[in-house]
Amino acid sequence: MRRKATTLGAAFAALAVTCAMFATTASAAPAWKFEGKSLEGTEVILGAAIDSSLTIPGLTTKCANFLYKVTIKNEAGTGKGEVTEVPLYNCTTDQPEVCTVSSIAAEKLPWPAKLATVSTSNYIVIEGIKVAIKYAGIECALGGITVNVTGTAGGIVDNATETATFNSTTFGATKTELKALATKIQWTGIFPTEAFQWHREQALSVS
Amino acid sequence: MHKHRRRAACLALLIAALAALALSASAQAKLTGEFTKFAQCPYKNEKALKCVYSVTESGEVVLGSKKVPIEKPVTLQGAYGTPVEEKEEAEFYPFIAATNGITLSKAPQNVPGGLLGIIPEASQPALVKALIKFFFENSLTGVNSTLELAKAASDIRVSENNLAGEIGTALQMPVKVHLENPFLGKNCFVGSSSSPITWKLTTGTTKPPAPNTPITGSGGEGELLESAKILKLNNNKLVDNAWSAPKAAGCGGIISFLVDPIINAQLGTTTAGHNTAILKGTLYQASAFTVNKNDVEHP
Repeated sequence: MRRKATTLGAAFAALAVTCAMFATTASAAPAWKFEGKSLEGTEVILGAAIDSSLTIPGLTTKCANFLYKVTIKNEAGTGKGEVTEVPLYNCTTDQPEVCTVSSIAAEKLPWPAKLATVSTSNYIVIEGIKVAIKYAGIECALGGITVNVTGTAGGIVDNATETATFNSTTFGATKTELKALATKIQWTGIFPTEAFQWHREQALSVS
Repeated sequence: MHKHRRRAACLALLIAALAALALSASAQAKLTGEFTKFAQCPYKNEKALKCVYSVTESGEVVLGSKKVPIEKPVTLQGAYGTPVEEKEEAEFYPFIAATNGITLSKAPQNVPGGLLGIIPEASQPALVKALIKFFFENSLTGVNSTLELAKAASDIRVSENNLAGEIGTALQMPVKVHLENPFLGKNCFVGSSSSPITWKLTTGTTKPPAPNTPITGSGGEGELLESAKILKLNNNKLVDNAWSAPKAAGCGGIISFLVDPIINAQLGTTTAGHNTAILKGTLYQASAFTVNKNDVEHP
């Protein structure tokens, strides 16, 4: 009888530990959800950055058309994804009379992405980023040089506005950084997270 | 009357002198701000594309068994023109000499241990170190090593994309090392114009033959100055440890046939894999057009 009680106790304890483990996993690895339900299969997010700029100390570059296509899915309850396309058009600098952007292109796509929770906030972390920027201008110090922007970027996901925001605070929180000319650069941007395939016009959230 | 005429003549002379001064001043370049770094850039040369001013502030040159720390700044200045060749998937630009002729400044660096190569052990007392330095690195026994260009400045090659991209050769430079000491005479060199040491410096990672192992440079931290007209690379690190060096020659004047072997024995093996160049410093770059414009705008 005593032996039976001990075995039962051990089973409860194991269950409790397992439940606790699951609870921890759920909070550390958020998932993509549509209308509150976890995404099954894949979905495509298409969008255009509301505002985005990239600053190498002394020169800021902005693109009027910063588009992106991201394929998202949940894997073992964790939100994952891949940035598959990043067409960039109409890019200019804050020194337009000195430096113009002759070409800009995202390279080594797809870039893997994953969701992560840091101090109760949910973030999307994009890895393997590579953007090649070629500047022009007879007076531009970077004229003719291909500047490669590389690294990892972390942006906070806001369920209320259905956007992902990237700035120095989100980079700090996710311990990510982008570099160009071996220098840490600043990248800011607000990106709407709207589904364009099976879950069109459904509220996308991360939790 | 006579006094009056003399005073007028003096006044005329004074005006003429002032006018001459003003003319000579207007003929001089008056670059402003950070552009003053490019005072010796041949920016009026229509072949010049970009001006370069690079100061190596520290680092080391290892030649065989001799390691010489760079303690005095070495300046490389001038310009580079349009690309002449493409290799390693990069465009290489030929260099154009500095207007004052000092494309690579001559900064004598102290060779630790001097002529006899006696270097104190790190564990030895400070007094012993000071005495060894006094006896073996003084004006008679001390040796200075000065890096000089072995060929014309036009033989230097620059790849700005490799420099910024931290891959391949960023700066190719034919050099020779001038060893100076009263006993070595004035013509003791490792490398010559016919047999130069060719540095293929990279900001990336080297692939040297053994026993050397790969070392990594750095493009440095980029910063744009003067409204993005000047690129400044802080903590730039150029490295090469795959170069070979010829034997020292011309040491000891007329008895060089006796002294050269002694110097070469001191240097040890200087074939590829036994030598290293690490140049750390700051590099400035701007288009020759914009430097010229700054000059014209500030007569």
